[in-house]
Amino acid sequence: MLAQVVAVIIFIAMFLFIVTEIVERHVVSLVCALLTVIFVFGLGMHSMTAVIETLNIKSIFMTEFWYLSGETSGNSSGINWETILFIFGMMVMVEGMARVGFFRWLCMRIARLVHYQIIPLFVTFMILSTILAMFIDSITVILFLAAVTIELSQLLKFNPIPMILSEIFCANLGGSATMCGDPPNIIIGTSLGYSFTDFVTNTGVIAGVCLIAVLAYFYLLFRKELLAGGPKTVDYDSLPSPESTITDKKGFAVSCVIFAAAIVLLITHAQTGLTVSTIGSLVAVATLVTSWKYAILLLKKVDYKTLLFFIGLFVVIGGLEQTGILEIMAGFIGRISGGNVMVMIAIIIWLSAISSAFVDNIPFATTMIPIIKSLSATYGVDLSMLAWTLAMGTDIGGSATPIGASANVVGIATASREGYVIKWGLYCKKMMPATVIVVLISMLLIYFRYL
Amino acid sequence: MEKQLIISVGREYGSGGHEIAERLSTHYGIQLLDHNLLDEIAAKKNVKMDHLRTLDEKHKNPLSSRTVRGYSSSPEENMLYLQFDYLRDKADAGESFVIVGRCSETILKQYENMISIFVLADRDKRIERIMRLYHLTESEAVKKIREKDTNRRRYHNSFCVGKWGDCRNYDVSLNSSKLGIDGSVKLLTDYIDRRRQ
Repeated sequence: MLAQVVAVIIFIAMFLFIVTEIVERHVVSLVCALLTVIFVFGLGMHSMTAVIETLNIKSIFMTEFWYLSGETSGNSSGINWETILFIFGMMVMVEGMARVGFFRWLCMRIARLVHYQIIPLFVTFMILSTILAMFIDSITVILFLAAVTIELSQLLKFNPIPMILSEIFCANLGGSATMCGDPPNIIIGTSLGYSFTDFVTNTGVIAGVCLIAVLAYFYLLFRKELLAGGPKTVDYDSLPSPESTITDKKGFAVSCVIFAAAIVLLITHAQTGLTVSTIGSLVAVATLVTSWKYAILLLKKVDYKTLLFFIGLFVVIGGLEQTGILEIMAGFIGRISGGNVMVMIAIIIWLSAISSAFVDNIPFATTMIPIIKSLSATYGVDLSMLAWTLAMGTDIGGSATPIGASANVVGIATASREGYVIKWGLYCKKMMPATVIVVLISMLLIYFRYL
Repeated sequence: MEKQLIISVGREYGSGGHEIAERLSTHYGIQLLDHNLLDEIAAKKNVKMDHLRTLDEKHKNPLSSRTVRGYSSSPEENMLYLQFDYLRDKADAGESFVIVGRCSETILKQYENMISIFVLADRDKRIERIMRLYHLTESEAVKKIREKDTNRRRYHNSFCVGKWGDCRNYDVSLNSSKLGIDGSVKLLTDYIDRRRQ
């Protein structure tokens, strides 16, 4: 009982400190992890086994961490090293791509393809944001898209805020479509043993349908604002050519090959048996070897704070899991729903969406994974269906407020630093209805397809 | 070519710090930047910023904002960075100006031609000044001074390591009550001239 109370106190304290940003979140999660080891596992449970299970170091030395010869049930206990290694690898690859100018080139190439016409630019940038976010982190996607959007808005004389808001929403939506699109999905996939294909054929299909609704919503919402001032004549000479944005031609070609290889490896990983940790390691090594001159620079640019945050977080959630708190929470959800699957899905998707709108979706998703496992085991509900519900709720819910997802923060900051300050009122007025629409569509699609 | 001069003026509300900044600007024939900073930025970036005046010199609300990899969703913080970037660009370009508040003593610290001043005053003199300028009763003036100083302190301290009004952050901390506005300006111009020699 003491261990349970302490685990909950540490968890709540961690959330409060993360939200208030008094201390950086990786410091908060690591300190809370240390407190969990000492007070929950040590003084509360007197269990060295719980410590070893939560630290999960031995998983790295097992064959299935790198290669799977058959089905896997995944591993939701303790530190998910597979997630850490995969995210690290993708960060290295993305830094390599950014160095050679890949993202800026892609944005400028597409802008030129649509002849710099504002509405086609608006639609294609939304689609580009969705597709890129399926494979790389949404922060990088928005960082480049928002910067190019502002640059083009100054040259073509339009208000960039509608376009940036739409790109943010689509980046979060794209993240929900694949296993590697958003950290909650990677954690869900590796913890529950789902493949890239599993995500694409489930959350990917839902995200695809939602994208159509989102394109229509934002088009109707922003059309007049974007076209204010009448048609624009474009002086091509005043615009940077896509090729001029490439800083290293050879490196650019190599980066394209590595990115394509990463996509192929991810799509086929259920068939090849290569785990995401192996794929992450391969793309990191390939990037560092081919850009050896810049290897130190690329390694320095990796966001280690986020990786450390994950490590601490997994330990704190491990404390809740080992003490049985998450099972109690699962029982609570089960009782409220009365075992009714439709109600259960509605609770999970809306609870996830609303929570993710205000707090970091990564701790929330990590907490919910053992809960949905327990719900599935107790009520005989299909676990994968609950997993897709959780993924859609956490990934989409974050779009509702300026603080809900990393992409929102980066997009808002990038626009604001150029004079286009986006306040809460403006953001929520445009994005909250879109979020509600997409969560609703996702819920109905889940009902329609799985029940 | 005239040597660059940047004067940063922090001030307690009612201390006459703004008037001193204006006089220094006139004395040296250099631009005064205060509330007009937003207009300058708006003109340079060709954007409308009138609706953002409420964010100027306001502290961020940690509960309604989030930071990711150094990027912040706080409008107040972003407004501040916008002003910081603009001021640094101006300083880099070798321009001379007087800047009132806006954490300028911290963000422009690395420029050797920057002189930072903090103007304070005795409480009774500040109340008297605010009552006279805004036709307020004593209690209204006290309330206004408390509100304004609290806001300035919270704004400054939420973005800077050094504390607002702490004499260790400024080249000169001056009590304007003792010499009056004219005497304070004379003393400051004397100090600035010696620094520039």
